[in-house]
Amino acid sequence: MTGPEEDESPVAGGRADPRGDPFLRTRFAVPARPATYLRRERLTRHLDQALTTPLTMVNGAAGAGKTLLVADWAARRGRLPVAWLTADAAGDGPGVFWAYLLRALRTAGVPLSAGIGAPAEASRVGPALLVRLAAELSGRERPVVVVLDEFDRVTAPEIAEQLEFVLRHAGPGLRLVLVTRTEPLLPLHRYRAAGELTEIRGAELAFTPHEAARLLDLHGLRLPPAAVRALVERTRGWAAGLRLCALAAGQSPDPELYLKEFEADRSTIADFLLAEVLKRQEAGTQELLLRVSVLDRFGPGLANAVTGRDDAEAALARLSRENAFVEHLGHGLYRLHPLFAEILRAHLRMRRPGAEPGLHRTAAAWLRRSGALAEALTHGAAAGDWEFTAGALIDDLAIGQFFTGPRSDTTAGLFAAMGRDGTGPAQELVRAAGRLARCDVDGALAHLRRARHDLAEHDGTADRAAARLSCALLEALAARLAGAPDRAEDAARTAEGLWDAVPEQLERHPEIPALLLDHLGSTRLWAGRFEEARAALSTVAECAPGAVTALVREDALARLALIDQLDGWPGRAERRAREALAETERFGLSPSAGAGVDRVVLAAVAVDRDEPGRARALLDASAESHPALRDPVLAACRALTTARLHLARGDPGAALRAVEEEVRADVASPWVQGETALVAAAAHLAGGRARTAAGLLARVPDDQVACAVEAARVQLAAGRAAAAVRLLDRVRPEGRAGPAVTVRAALVRARAADEAGDGAAARRLVGRALAEARRERLRRPFAEAGPWIRPYLRSEAPHRPAAGRPAPCFGPSRREPPPPVVEELSGRERDVLRRLALTMSTEEIAADLYVSVNTVKTHLKSVYRKLSVNRRNEAVRRARELDLL
Amino acid sequence: MRYEIRVEGHLSEALIEVFPELDHVTVPGQTLLFGYVVDEAHLYGLLARCQSLGLRILEMRQVPE
Repeated sequence: MTGPEEDESPVAGGRADPRGDPFLRTRFAVPARPATYLRRERLTRHLDQALTTPLTMVNGAAGAGKTLLVADWAARRGRLPVAWLTADAAGDGPGVFWAYLLRALRTAGVPLSAGIGAPAEASRVGPALLVRLAAELSGRERPVVVVLDEFDRVTAPEIAEQLEFVLRHAGPGLRLVLVTRTEPLLPLHRYRAAGELTEIRGAELAFTPHEAARLLDLHGLRLPPAAVRALVERTRGWAAGLRLCALAAGQSPDPELYLKEFEADRSTIADFLLAEVLKRQEAGTQELLLRVSVLDRFGPGLANAVTGRDDAEAALARLSRENAFVEHLGHGLYRLHPLFAEILRAHLRMRRPGAEPGLHRTAAAWLRRSGALAEALTHGAAAGDWEFTAGALIDDLAIGQFFTGPRSDTTAGLFAAMGRDGTGPAQELVRAAGRLARCDVDGALAHLRRARHDLAEHDGTADRAAARLSCALLEALAARLAGAPDRAEDAARTAEGLWDAVPEQLERHPEIPALLLDHLGSTRLWAGRFEEARAALSTVAECAPGAVTALVREDALARLALIDQLDGWPGRAERRAREALAETERFGLSPSAGAGVDRVVLAAVAVDRDEPGRARALLDASAESHPALRDPVLAACRALTTARLHLARGDPGAALRAVEEEVRADVASPWVQGETALVAAAAHLAGGRARTAAGLLARVPDDQVACAVEAARVQLAAGRAAAAVRLLDRVRPEGRAGPAVTVRAALVRARAADEAGDGAAARRLVGRALAEARRERLRRPFAEAGPWIRPYLRSEAPHRPAAGRPAPCFGPSRREPPPPVVEELSGRERDVLRRLALTMSTEEIAADLYVSVNTVKTHLKSVYRKLSVNRRNEAVRRARELDLL
Repeated sequence: MRYEIRVEGHLSEALIEVFPELDHVTVPGQTLLFGYVVDEAHLYGLLARCQSLGLRILEMRQVPE
């Protein structure tokens, strides 16, 4: 599929679209002026002020001559770069809008660094991307002029807000010109009041009699001043009206008489004049104009396809030369003036009732043949021909667009109109994809079954490879969401057998193998086959970055981080999860479209480091992940981490409730079962139900090292020290797992030694645990160890040299893990804390927050209490450690 | 909600067809489009349709049921 997403290299300036799609290129082209264009100095001079104000708005009715005025002005800017973007008829979402705007800037030769990133999602754009863009623009020596034509088509209010943000922060580096029929949702009054707005409105755009006379002159019409004045009065100086008048009159034997008749006529101007101009064309040209009215942009090839003739090239060239309603966009492409396209469509409907769907179908087929899939899909949908539209998507292997890339919303939206009655494998596959994109596995499976059945019936033909591959991909996803490892492996094997049959499509769609491996890796992770999972996920993580694969890469990286975290390596897990989030950030994905697992991993790490506030926030953010990635792994990890957080906060009841509901899956996951039993056991233990806890341990498998260590811990806490040590001796976690596991193992052994009265051994073991924990900033294992550990932590200080040099970040004041924050700070308390960190006095804080000094003192007291500190600098330090600031 | 939209000029048959859900009467120099408007979205849609056809709206009002 063609789209802005495929281009994030900054060198793309000369090559607007990697696939050279001319339909898109025209959106960045400054429209050409017709030979009869009249330059009006008063308007050009006014428009020159656009260089001195951040915002310029040119508004007026359809056909008022806005676009040509700005285009003519922009084309003569010479040294200043002008980025031109014509808004899309379909109304872009913010993601697509900004992707195109970035591309327009690069096309205009504005060097933007690749670090700005690109939106990977249709409906949203990350704030960081806008910040980076504004920062780069503000650093420019000379401003860049950005013209947004047909801005009235941009209806999403967020886009206006985002533009306003970038405009405000780009300073003199950006001059924005909005060409629009309606007032944009920007705070115009503010710009106006500050003298920062250049405004050219309808009244100013209207032709004066003098100008009208010159325009008519360009059309070869010389009229007496009174006739011109009457004409201006009748058309109210409306540019399109005057132009059409000139055309219609120019073709009549007695122009003056004709215009008199026109003045007397009471029809609506545009329609009347257009009908007049149309009827003066020869029959073939009339038919051409009516038929191309269903197309946004077209070249001679497409125009010939919809007329069924072969003379469009000459006709279009002539029309664009002669009159204003066929505009040449460059690259051999044309479009109808929007006003006339609308009126021509009305005429088409009346003269050729029922012809529209057929024209859309013809256009769709032609566009499909010439490789413009996005446009083909749009016209296929407009024709209501779902067999064709679904077929085109499947044959192109573009099914991944339902799940990833900036077009995902557009694709899903397009097919939302598809009815339920169409049959055939392509439509069934599209339905299945739609269901899976909403995480509706059962619904999807029914459609997949039908698709598989259809595909089997047509077996033996090679051209079904794309459909079969799409089917395999969707089955892998369904298996992943259902937690069915065997089915995922089967689907992956089927897919691998089909790679060679569709080499071209795969080159266009790198997201297909990436999605497949991500599904496979995640299912293996569910099954507890960590090494195989790692192999599949690493391949995805290493694939070339790009907007279409951003989400998949993020997910794969996040799941690799999860494996590290489960293996007990919080530092590594954190690095990788951050890398995953950076991937999201770079491509401007929103949390609701992100993978989710990365945040859960960071939350788990935060729990281990005794930062419950952070953990809570991360868990909350992870709730809004992309629906197609909400598989059992994510659900189970969220539940487990939430439960651990509750345990850390001393609420075993809530912990039990968090893991109470079993995660739905076809096949149970051994490690999830184990971990769930352990968390439940720990909760029961904390609730004083040692027997119930011990009973749960029977369900914990030995082969998962982390589980075994947790089991030993529970055994020990339940008073079975010997059993705990035996278990550890059998499993030998040391060397098999990371510090988060081995530190806990050492503490289990230390407590066993302590209980056995071997203080020296316990001290040695605690010392070892501390040394290991320091590097990873692990605190939770000590906090959860219990009161027995305190003397060892205190007396460990003199032995510090023996325990190795402490890491710089882990100073002496932090050796004893401070108690965790058990109560969240209120919003007001945070406000006070933040001001405290700025070394403001109590009085200053009170004045700043408009409260009394006593109120501030009350807040301070509860801040101290919640953070377990006594002084303000301690409070600030502790708050920084806990990332509360 | 019933609405009445008064636009300048006489609408051709083709343009009338663009508003199939509305009735119309032609008065000297003007066309009156009227009928049932489902909701706000419909109302703004009608305005946009007028705008895209270059029609000049002289008056628009809600009329009693």
